[in-house]
Amino acid sequence: MGDRETPAWQARYLRPLALPLLLLAVWQITVMAQPSASGIAPTPFGVIRGFWELTLSGELPKSLLQSLFRIFSGFAAAFTLAVAAALLVSLSRAAEYLLDPVLETFRPIAPIAWIPLAILWFGTGTYAAMFIVGYAVFFPVFVNTLTGLRGVDPRLVNAALTLGASRTMIVREVILPAALPTIVLGARLGMGVGWAAIVAAEMTVGSKSGGGASGGLGQMMFIFLSYSLELRYIIVGMITVGIVALLIDAGFRRLERLLMPWPH
Amino acid sequence: MRRSRLATGGAAITRYALSLGLFVLIWFLAALYVGKPNTLPRPDVVFHEALEMIASGELLTNAASTLRRLLAGFLLACAAGVPLGLLMGLSRSLEAYVTPLIEMLRPISGIAWIPLALYFFGIGEALPHFIIFYGAIFPVVVNTAGAVKQVDRRLVDAARTLGASHVMVVREILLPGSLPMIFVGARIGLGVGWMAVIASELVGAPSGLGYLIEWNRTMLMSSRVLVGVFSIGFIGYLMDWMLRRAAYATTPWWTGWKQHG
Repeated sequence: MGDRETPAWQARYLRPLALPLLLLAVWQITVMAQPSASGIAPTPFGVIRGFWELTLSGELPKSLLQSLFRIFSGFAAAFTLAVAAALLVSLSRAAEYLLDPVLETFRPIAPIAWIPLAILWFGTGTYAAMFIVGYAVFFPVFVNTLTGLRGVDPRLVNAALTLGASRTMIVREVILPAALPTIVLGARLGMGVGWAAIVAAEMTVGSKSGGGASGGLGQMMFIFLSYSLELRYIIVGMITVGIVALLIDAGFRRLERLLMPWPH
Repeated sequence: MRRSRLATGGAAITRYALSLGLFVLIWFLAALYVGKPNTLPRPDVVFHEALEMIASGELLTNAASTLRRLLAGFLLACAAGVPLGLLMGLSRSLEAYVTPLIEMLRPISGIAWIPLALYFFGIGEALPHFIIFYGAIFPVVVNTAGAVKQVDRRLVDAARTLGASHVMVVREILLPGSLPMIFVGARIGLGVGWMAVIASELVGAPSGLGYLIEWNRTMLMSSRVLVGVFSIGFIGYLMDWMLRRAAYATTPWWTGWKQHG
């Protein structure tokens, strides 16, 4: 309230950059002022170097690709299943009565709570991580798809029926496109939770299996904690987690605009 | 009218019982087929285990320590996040300074902080508190700031015209007007905090529900793990329901509850 006119450069560069830069400077100076801690204490420049070193050694690209592969395959499976289940529930009363209570019972269980059982069932590798991601993705996609499907204007369906459309045609040409915005929204929400969950899953596995072959970003971070105490490498991992989260979110927003150029 | 509602309520319960009964039956048969109680225990075994864990107090003590951590971290996040969000909603220059920092840190999930926090805090109470606080504060701040901005400016102007002071405008108009959206932020924050507390207990805490399921996993006691998993779901649902009720009770006039409730 009551903002005075500010010069354009100040509004554009100074304001958004001031606090982050100040924080980084304080961080760098605090560590440099304590020579005794310089062995393990990370600095911003150390983190930048860490990025370079981990990329050259191949550890960062390898773990990142492994995590990405898991999240996308887990997502693909869960997304297909969730959309199919939502279609079934919205089209058939019997399916709704049988499936809905069971799904509503499992929905509030945090995906992370399944990690121990996933390890028991699938071991400490890719399948356990995929299960966790799949569980995290399934429910937001299911709920949003169902909301979207139920929100379809019945007049559109009736119009298509009047014009002689078959049941499959109505699903494919009328219901699914009309529900598309909420389906994509569900996918975006699900991927957000899924990415946090997969890091947790890899971390739990990494902290228990003693650095086996299970891999992934989460485990990479944990190995640096328990074996070499390279804190700056851990921060590299954290920043990578953040960047991937941003990219996934931006990708889905882009997809939303691409699939639905009309305003909604 | 009344009778028909009762009848539909009864039908809903029957449907629920039928659906869950069928699920438990499938689970039972699957467990018999698999035949390995360490992998997939029978539902009746899980039920007995649950009774035993309640009777021994194991379940309740662990749930209590998880809830204590969640509550402390979450309340701290609200105590810091709501005032900060209010200030950001009031001052555009403060918002311009703080938002980039928030947007920079927010994508890094609280869970990704666990290894670093584990180094600084060690195993104990500080770790889950920090992770919950970190996870919950962003939704609270962002929603509060957004809430203040969507309060009808005409109300503020009207109050000003009638001679209300700054403090009065904040207390009588902006705060009540943004309360519903603050509740929405708090609900999201509580959900994120619930994930965060379980995750941090899985890795680095000597008690709590997350610790309980991970410990029983290493003991290969699947039935006890399942009891823990279902308790986590149940408590999470219960907390969300209570917060929803509280939100509705404090701001019954808000028309957005259909959308956000």
